[in-house]
Amino acid sequence: MLAYVIRRIAYLVPVLLVLTIVVFTFVELLPGNIIDTLIGTEGNDDPEVRKILEKEYGLDQPIYVRYAKWLYRAVQGDFGNSLVTRRPVALELLSGIPATVYLAIVGISLSMLIAVPLGTIAAVRRNTPVDYTAQVSSLIGISIPEFWFAILCVLFFSLYLGWLPSSGYASPFDDFWGSLKFLILPAAAVGFRQAAYTTRLTRSSMLDEMNKEYVDTARSLGLSERKVIFKYTLRNAMIPTITISGLQLANLLGGTVVLESIFAWPGIGRAIFEAILQRDYPLVQAGVLVLGVIVVIMNLLVDLTYRYLNPRVKLG
Amino acid sequence: MTELEAPKLADLDEGRASAIARRLARYGITLSNAWYELRKSRTASIGLVMLVLLFGACLATPWIATQSPVKQNYRERLQPPSEQHLLGTDRMGRDIYSRLLWGGRRLVAIALLAVAFGLAIGIPYGVLSGYYGGAADTVAMRIVDGLLAFPGLLLYLLIVTLAREWKLEGIYNDLILVFALGFAFMPEVARLSRGSVLAEKQKEYVEASRAVGDGSLSIALRQILPNIISPLIVNATVRLGYVILIVAALSFLGLGTPPPTPDWGSDLSAARDYMETAPLIAAFPGLAICYTVLAFNLFGDGLRDILDPRLAER
Repeated sequence: MLAYVIRRIAYLVPVLLVLTIVVFTFVELLPGNIIDTLIGTEGNDDPEVRKILEKEYGLDQPIYVRYAKWLYRAVQGDFGNSLVTRRPVALELLSGIPATVYLAIVGISLSMLIAVPLGTIAAVRRNTPVDYTAQVSSLIGISIPEFWFAILCVLFFSLYLGWLPSSGYASPFDDFWGSLKFLILPAAAVGFRQAAYTTRLTRSSMLDEMNKEYVDTARSLGLSERKVIFKYTLRNAMIPTITISGLQLANLLGGTVVLESIFAWPGIGRAIFEAILQRDYPLVQAGVLVLGVIVVIMNLLVDLTYRYLNPRVKLG
Repeated sequence: MTELEAPKLADLDEGRASAIARRLARYGITLSNAWYELRKSRTASIGLVMLVLLFGACLATPWIATQSPVKQNYRERLQPPSEQHLLGTDRMGRDIYSRLLWGGRRLVAIALLAVAFGLAIGIPYGVLSGYYGGAADTVAMRIVDGLLAFPGLLLYLLIVTLAREWKLEGIYNDLILVFALGFAFMPEVARLSRGSVLAEKQKEYVEASRAVGDGSLSIALRQILPNIISPLIVNATVRLGYVILIVAALSFLGLGTPPPTPDWGSDLSAARDYMETAPLIAAFPGLAICYTVLAFNLFGDGLRDILDPRLAER
């Protein structure tokens, strides 16, 4: 197991290299460069000044040297300054992380609360109306664009009924109950879509487990159906469900750009989106990189947990 | 041309004609078999019917759209559905029904091209990587892992932003979208086809071709590829729905096609301002997206059951 862990960590290196190269190339491929932006604001396009500035920013060096220098600074958390606020990019991003994590965790938990019971019932009562309803509704769930679902929720609960605010955010640490009313709609929008995926997954892994021999053995020993399902099959079936939910949690950290901008949720996704609108590319670059790294690390953790929970999986 | 050669040529043509006829007949049989198989799965049949309607509407758009999708008419803003405007008009008095049709045609075309592009680069990538194995395979798969590490919309956001900065317009903007969506689909295709190749490589028929003296490349592409195609078809079908969701999300964010072009995502976004007074405007593009994505998902789900009988039990 230890050798496997070490090898998996070693695998991270090339993956992170690809990630950083893509992100670095993105800024390189933008038309013009930082000098244009700087000169644009000062208003004097003098070739001499340009040369000095290029030297200062290291733009006279070949691309791989610049990449190495950028990487060296990025590893230390120095992503440069935001072109808009002039504050360090790392700070800007850091301030968005709590809101994003809060939304993603609540959304995923909500989806598990709905999906696990629903998927289990669908599997146990296979090919009955309950099963069909669960299947059809989860299929519809994954086909509805989340932004449309969000808009419909706002229309109904905020504009029509007036129960919940249509957008905004309050930190749960300042005012827990107050933050809940901002949280409900975005979390429902996140959870709804995830629940659709997780229901399908729970159902199929339950069916997988229920077809295994140990279930028959347990039944033949006279265990009640309830005990067979809750004590044995569900427990085993939860392994893939939890694994995938972990991966989706990672994905959600970067995947809530649309919902965060609809609900004015001050997370990292919205920060990146607004940076794109304001052409604040150092922030975009760093934001995408940070989210990518989070995803890679989460994937690793989920994978290791999965192996730990399910030792039968061959270490390959 | 001498007289001696003439009859030979006629023979050849005849031979070719009958070969073509035979091939067509074979396609016909395959098609009817496919239909027979499809009817076994209710999901697939419903999905197929929905898809036929969708493609039909896309192809027939120039004839069934009643109005220009971009003609503004400020005297008829925010109208409810009527005989003249089947689904009403939007904030600029444009006919929603016609906008939906034209927007859908564009959206479906983009999705099809993008998925085709992803398959076109992903399959050779994965097949060759899996077939040759070794160091090349390791490097190739680490690149794929790196590309898969971009969560959600982020990779698209980067590419679409580049397109905006380079001021790409019209067809070029659509092409870059196709490129981005296809490129992001590539890693998944590569992984899937590599996995299937690894499984197929062990089988006897590959051994047999090698014994006969076929080259590696020919074995990989001509023998193995046809055998791994069915999981790819399922994956591509489901991906079409996903791609449509992504395109809609990007244009909803205002990073897709610029406004006058009819587009479900940006129409939906624009309709948000009139949600209280005219909620129907926001309903139609949303329903259209749902219908399309659902059609692809149903068809893909059904196909999976048919092509992989092991799963049909579920």
